Amino acid sequence: MLGSRYLSTMLTLAEFELRKLKHDFSQIGIRGVQPALWLLVFGETFANLRSIPTGAFSYIQFLTPGVLTQSVMFVAIFYGIMLVWERDLGLLNKLLSTPAPRSAIVLGKALSAGVRGIFQAVVIFALALLIHVPLNVGALELLGVVAVIVLGGMCFSCLSMSLVPIFKTRERMMGIGQAITMPLFFTSNAIYPISIMPPWLRVIATLNPLSYVVDAMRALLVTGDFQAIPLDIGVMLFATAIFASIASAFFRRILD
Amino acid sequence: MKAIEVRNLSKTYSDLKAVDGISFDVVEGETFGLLGPNGAGKTTAIRMMLTLIKPTSGSAKVFGIDIARSPESVRQISGYVPQEVSVDGELTGYENVLMYARLHYIPRKERSRRIQEALEYMELADRKNDLVSTYSGGMMRRLEIAQTLVNRPKVLFLDEPSIGLDPSAKTTVWEYVVNLREEFGTTIIVTTHDMHEADTLCDGIAIMNRGKIVASGSPNELKGNVGGDVVSLVAHSADCTPILQKQGRVLSAKPDLGLYELVVAEGEKAIPVILDCLRENGIRVESVSLKKPTLDDVFLKYAGVRIEEGGTWRETRRLRRTFRRLG
Repeated sequence: MLGSRYLSTMLTLAEFELRKLKHDFSQIGIRGVQPALWLLVFGETFANLRSIPTGAFSYIQFLTPGVLTQSVMFVAIFYGIMLVWERDLGLLNKLLSTPAPRSAIVLGKALSAGVRGIFQAVVIFALALLIHVPLNVGALELLGVVAVIVLGGMCFSCLSMSLVPIFKTRERMMGIGQAITMPLFFTSNAIYPISIMPPWLRVIATLNPLSYVVDAMRALLVTGDFQAIPLDIGVMLFATAIFASIASAFFRRILD
Repeated sequence: MKAIEVRNLSKTYSDLKAVDGISFDVVEGETFGLLGPNGAGKTTAIRMMLTLIKPTSGSAKVFGIDIARSPESVRQISGYVPQEVSVDGELTGYENVLMYARLHYIPRKERSRRIQEALEYMELADRKNDLVSTYSGGMMRRLEIAQTLVNRPKVLFLDEPSIGLDPSAKTTVWEYVVNLREEFGTTIIVTTHDMHEADTLCDGIAIMNRGKIVASGSPNELKGNVGGDVVSLVAHSADCTPILQKQGRVLSAKPDLGLYELVVAEGEKAIPVILDCLRENGIRVESVSLKKPTLDDVFLKYAGVRIEEGGTWRETRRLRRTFRRLG
């Protein structure tokens, strides 16, 4: 009974996020601009420099999963702002006045961010194929990529939602979003391998959940080495659970 | 059966007592109004009853269910229309209602019938597939009520239902609210700063000011507390004062000008009696007028200020922002 209500709440919220996207698809394109620049300008340039050792694979191959993950993370990390926006509009009050459990609402919102992430990733994916980046595109790999995107999106949107009860206003959430996205991105293995980092940065990269999302994505799309995937998924689930618990516990404070 | 029982409910924010020990009961099927200026604590009070925010102290029961013990059960039987526009402009009218039907776990086989009924009842069926961003303010309010109807709430909380609406949309929303009570027997809690709205909709009213209930009763009782209706007379033929003194409290008498004012309990019934008395004494009355006390007079009496003077900067800002965005 409770389990089915829980799942039903999550799926409902995600479904209506999709419906909103359907009514206004332009935002996907607009949000695709920045990752496209990373791939086309940064990627192409650094590939020519050949300064980053990426083993048997080309730099652009190495970078593509990183940029894919980054675009999903960017959407998710600003999801908290959406929550503030919905609170200011009155939508959040209304949502919380339903019998749905708080934590189901949090996870439903997180799932919505994951679903948005998929569409964001499709844009980057199409672009990568267009510039002939060799990627593994078997059915199994793609299914895995979708799962990793959803999980990664949930993880970072839960992080974002757990910050809303502290920062509360849109302006502050915007600031905090910007303050954490770049460090998360640059201290991960998204644009260079952990092996070339100085030791102190390696420690941070190992603690950074984004590294695990990138790692799983890279394994699926490029290297085909699935050995570390259980660890990657495990870390993502663990981080999501922690952030989601914090967000649910303090959710009511958002309204105060 | 008591629909709502509130006892010493308080909410304190760091230095501000938003709600300060309020207590009241609402009988099932009644429309009850919390009346007061912006910032009086009305919204905070209903948000506590809806389990959206936690009371600092005190208790409340909704149809016998304790808000602290079973918040999810309270929300299952409650409907809520917030002050801010709470429909999603990026979805169609139908989708907005469907989403809430799903979040209230209405069984699949009943769902589409109830949604259709709610949309037809609020006369939105012909626009149900349009994006809500194309709706007028009045239509959005009606859609919000339709969203709650799908769940057949036992108690409906309306926070400033007619705020930001033009006069005709306002009247339409009032008609629907009155019908809701008559057709479904829904208990309705309304917050408002609009005296006329409280007077039109409510069976019982609690007047709030600075977090406290300063007076309560039916609209007529409250207005009765002002002391009654004011009857003004113009008569020149003789001094009416001795006769009028027997009929009510004489507020002012100026025999040289022929002007008299007196306060009576029920003006409509008192006027013929007064006129008869004066005529028996050979006094011809040239004109008579009646002024009813308004809830504004009541508020003035208990709070010492006119209701329009209240309101916090923050609330006003939020409200204006909401309407600006939805345009």
